[in-house]
Amino acid sequence: MGSHEALSVDPFKRLVKLAARAFYDDITTKGDKQPKTGRSDNRGIAVVVLDALTRRQWVREEDLAKDLKLHSKQLRRTLRFFEEEKLVTRDHRKETAKGAKIYSAAVAATGDGQPGGREGDEKLKMHTHSYCCLDYAQLKDELESKNTVQEYICPNCSKRYTALDALRLISPHDEYFHCESCDGVLVAEADKLAAQELGDGDDNARRRRHEKLKDMLQNMEEQLKPLMDQLGRVKDLTVPEFGSLQAWELQNAAGRAANGDHGNDPSKSSQGFGFGGTPMPYVGETKVEVDFSGIDGKGEIKSENGNAPMKVLPPWMIRQGMKLTEEQRGETKQEAKMAGSLTAVESSDDKKITDEKDDVKNIQDEYVKAYYAALLKRQR
Amino acid sequence: MFFHIVLERNMQLHPRHFGRDLRDKLVTKLMKDVEGTCSGRHGFIVAITGIESVGKGLIRDGTGFVTFPVKYQCVVFRPFKGEILEAVVTMVNKMGFFAEAGPVQIFVSNHLIPDDMEFQSGDMANYTTSDGSVKIQKDSEVRLKIIGTRVDATEIFCIGTIKDDFLGVISDPGAAS
Ligand SMILES: [Zn+2]
Repeated sequence: MGSHEALSVDPFKRLVKLAARAFYDDITTKGDKQPKTGRSDNRGIAVVVLDALTRRQWVREEDLAKDLKLHSKQLRRTLRFFEEEKLVTRDHRKETAKGAKIYSAAVAATGDGQPGGREGDEKLKMHTHSYCCLDYAQLKDELESKNTVQEYICPNCSKRYTALDALRLISPHDEYFHCESCDGVLVAEADKLAAQELGDGDDNARRRRHEKLKDMLQNMEEQLKPLMDQLGRVKDLTVPEFGSLQAWELQNAAGRAANGDHGNDPSKSSQGFGFGGTPMPYVGETKVEVDFSGIDGKGEIKSENGNAPMKVLPPWMIRQGMKLTEEQRGETKQEAKMAGSLTAVESSDDKKITDEKDDVKNIQDEYVKAYYAALLKRQR
Repeated sequence: MFFHIVLERNMQLHPRHFGRDLRDKLVTKLMKDVEGTCSGRHGFIVAITGIESVGKGLIRDGTGFVTFPVKYQCVVFRPFKGEILEAVVTMVNKMGFFAEAGPVQIFVSNHLIPDDMEFQSGDMANYTTSDGSVKIQKDSEVRLKIIGTRVDATEIFCIGTIKDDFLGVISDPGAAS
């Protein structure tokens, strides 16, 4: 399905998945006041959304919401969060039937496994639609964490500042930053921990603090190891770049016409050179074959291993999940006819569906339930 | 990044300016009022390049002042996270250095200055490499990357880094002297 993605994208996809689990698996996009219990607990959604985005390039947010069985508002909130985090690029535009057609053609060209037959949908005319796409280059920058905003703390009154406050903290008298409230000389955050270590206080407290710090550090190293490894791997690779929505559509439409393949992918075109002798991971096309009979079995295995940390789902498992989460709308039938060979699953109340399809759908539904459950379980 | 955009402003004009050069007065006042100002939303208004339209004036009760809605084209400058800028160093201290790129002030903390550069105090405080070949001091020109912006209603402040490839000093005033 997506097996013909440019090879050099794969390490980046893995990087996104790792980062999602390392930094965003506890993110809830609701206000902190609301209780994080039961149905309102949407932790884990961030991970699901990022994962889904690794399997797509540009995608209409509405479609993504449907694929993930998320409320579009919830998805939008999550995406807005990632937009602020600079992991996701978004684009909004007034859509005409023609625009939708171009987009559909581009999606078909990337083989992202999404329904391509939307152009007949009258409802799409002249509405503002939002699109989103992962920004791999930014993600890499962020993770390399060279660019952290320095924090400062006042040793007297513990007031905290960041480098963004710098202008207000300078003093005409010396070379340091000064606290606005008590004029104490501020200490950079990293230096502060070290100072604490050396500072007085009884020995026990110090030892405890020391132990705690050591633990923290070790935990962090352990948890971040796969991430750092992956960063090392993508270090010299060309960052996948899908360009703006318009450019992407143009490229994909053109690329498809030209060679029926994805000559569109910039990372692919630069694949043949410039890696400076770095051994390229994931060499060899990943052909993924999936038969339905295998799914539920695998699903169980997944549930068992649900709480193993950092376990990354094989991409094809989620791919299946996407397919089955196709929302049943009024126009599903019509759409299914048009996009027939693709993935649309007919609504269950449709009397015409064959038993076979019904089975497949049930299996898929079971599977997606198990996947969400496992994910939630792991969050707790 | 620079943008050429159209903005609108309600201009109040004293009745003494009413006459055949009312429009000129309006434009002059507009330039005086908005050029060099900063709004968090659009960035710094660098220059007005044209007047799009002047709407109908409205006499204000009690004062005789007239309010004209004016649409004008202007060049604005708004810094973005990730953007590379060339800036002039304005101040160096132990915590890092401040620089200006046109109207924008940028702070580079010492953590985002390459590790091989050390702070040297003195009348001309600076950051210098151990071999003395590269020096950052007041009036040095540096290329930096914006890593964070603080956008208030009337102010934009940035923090930057020079700890990356191709960033750092691009001309050193100390080298010539
Ligand atoms: Zn203080």
